[in-house]
Amino acid sequence: MTAPSAYDVVVIGGGVTGAGVARDLSLRGLSVLLLEKGDWGAGTSGASSWMIHGGPRYLEYDWDTTRLSCIDAGHIVTIARNLVYRVVFIIPVLPHDRNNIERMETAMEVYDRFQPLKKAHPHRRLTGDEARQAEPGLSPDVIAAVTMEEWGVDPHRLVYANVEDAVAHGARALNHTRVTELIRDGGKVIGVRYRTPDGAFSEARARVVVNATGPWSPEVGAMAGVDIELRRAKGIHIVYPHRISNFSISAESIDGRDLLMVSHAGFTLLGTTDDDFYGDLDSVEVLDDEVDYLLQGFERVFPAIRSYRPVRTTTGVRPTLFKWRRYEDELSRRYEVIDHSPRGADGLITIAGGKLSMYRLMAEETSDAVCRKLGLQGESTTASRPLPGNESDPEPVAALAARCDVPALAVLKLQSRHGSNAEKVLDEGHTSRILCRCEPVTEAELVYAARHEQVRTLADAFRRVGVAAGPCAGAACILRASEVVGRELGWSATQRLDAAREFVRGAWLGRAPVLGHTGWAQEELTQGAMRGLMASDGAR
Amino acid sequence: MARADSLAKLAWAYGVHLARRRLRRPRSQLADLLNTYAPDGIRAIDPAVRERHPRLVNCINCGLCALAAGRIGKSRLPDLASSYMRLYARLGEASTDVAGDDPDFAAASAVCPVGLPLAEVATVVRRMTMR
Repeated sequence: MTAPSAYDVVVIGGGVTGAGVARDLSLRGLSVLLLEKGDWGAGTSGASSWMIHGGPRYLEYDWDTTRLSCIDAGHIVTIARNLVYRVVFIIPVLPHDRNNIERMETAMEVYDRFQPLKKAHPHRRLTGDEARQAEPGLSPDVIAAVTMEEWGVDPHRLVYANVEDAVAHGARALNHTRVTELIRDGGKVIGVRYRTPDGAFSEARARVVVNATGPWSPEVGAMAGVDIELRRAKGIHIVYPHRISNFSISAESIDGRDLLMVSHAGFTLLGTTDDDFYGDLDSVEVLDDEVDYLLQGFERVFPAIRSYRPVRTTTGVRPTLFKWRRYEDELSRRYEVIDHSPRGADGLITIAGGKLSMYRLMAEETSDAVCRKLGLQGESTTASRPLPGNESDPEPVAALAARCDVPALAVLKLQSRHGSNAEKVLDEGHTSRILCRCEPVTEAELVYAARHEQVRTLADAFRRVGVAAGPCAGAACILRASEVVGRELGWSATQRLDAAREFVRGAWLGRAPVLGHTGWAQEELTQGAMRGLMASDGAR
Repeated sequence: MARADSLAKLAWAYGVHLARRRLRRPRSQLADLLNTYAPDGIRAIDPAVRERHPRLVNCINCGLCALAAGRIGKSRLPDLASSYMRLYARLGEASTDVAGDDPDFAAASAVCPVGLPLAEVATVVRRMTMR
């Protein structure tokens, strides 16, 4: 065990809220240690619908949540310009839908009042034929539609941008580092004991410990002897490795819930479910039934959906605030900053509930609570201070592509992750080689991620730069990626093969529930290639 | 309380909406929609492409077409199908990547294990980059 180090604040949990808290407090001049047991954004944040949205659904329950969400979305869109892009929904209306077109348009008219807060346009109303002109794949049964604008975002990059900025302002941030114990002195929490990736144990003393672990909050609270009640809810998405439509589309499920097909830059998410969850948070599986539930609901409005080949699924657990006798969909997405002093755990603060679109505000209010506790006056600056890569405009795509001898598409994707830092990233690896051709990802970017962005596994690389995220699901690039990451991190040849096997095995868990006929054919091809290349008995 | 308040406000908005619909003549908003989002690359898909689209995006990036027929412009054929043909909204900025002579698409499609019509894919991609 190494000697304990001392900080003003230890933040547990490297999702978007924890990273946001670490950034906020670092910018206020506090010394911060941020600890994440897995990788940055690998839990609930990464399993989201990848949207900064205002939440028109909450208009039925709580307009204030919609208003706050839209205000904060406006801030996020400003500070993270390179990470966001417009997502425009067509919300089709079919005969016998829960809401007719007049009710739907009323909701959108109300939502239009909030749209300027997040720099979005007002809705449009379309006839059935007009909706099919905009998106010919819509069912002939669609009789009318309204549109709605939201923002798409890469949550993994958003989380990492917050971590990066926190570190740039003095924070220490460790991923793959699990907190095993809260150190207590009588009724006060005075620090944490944690295990580093190499298995060593360390201690850190802190004046305040922030529990920002989302659905894991009750487990961390229990380390200090306090109860934190959450209504944990599981959600899944089906991932298609291409943009199925330029417009995103909503649909109604068999039980009347809203489903979304979200068109992101080069892929599509179809989701989501919302079911109470009581299982193991570290092993959440996607069920065939859940996949069928989504497809059944969606093919009513977009009949060709079953013709498309999904590449994987994602799943996560929402840390919703506890409420008895409510359907999951009716639960508020509000959040709560809990100071545990009155319950015998002075020095411990938990941020519970909320959603990705309000992460910055949640982080600000949590940081305010920390500062009050420490008797400090510092004010948050995160609403206006740009995240890394957004301090200036990026270089024109064509110019950077020509100068660095990489395809323009690769530059486009690189700038979407790194903004104005793209050139610095391209210079890092001294190579213009394209490593993952589907995305595409340059070898230089992966080298940069391994050297500067805390990539420790190939799954980390997937999250940080999108390697293996395309239609081949890693078949064409994962071994090369393992070579590059292994070279940077000093892995042996065996470790490189093991890392690739581990990635393929992990990816398989997310792929199995959505393998149709062509999916199985691809899987056989991939597995066959992997067997040959790895000289093993396969990756399953 | 928040729920009751929200529903009451929605009910009021609904009444206002219905009254407004009676008083105003509706006009088509499709052109407004498409003009608003054209700069973001969010455009209507051609009905013919929509019909064929599931087949056009089926590439698994096995690489066999690259062995059979080489490149289109500066891009490898598997990249065309697995990367460019994903309806990137901003593909217009990457038009130089796919400019140049056509390779032997028939030979490339003949070896494709998922039967991708590569000539058609090239046409669609080039059309997207021209916008």
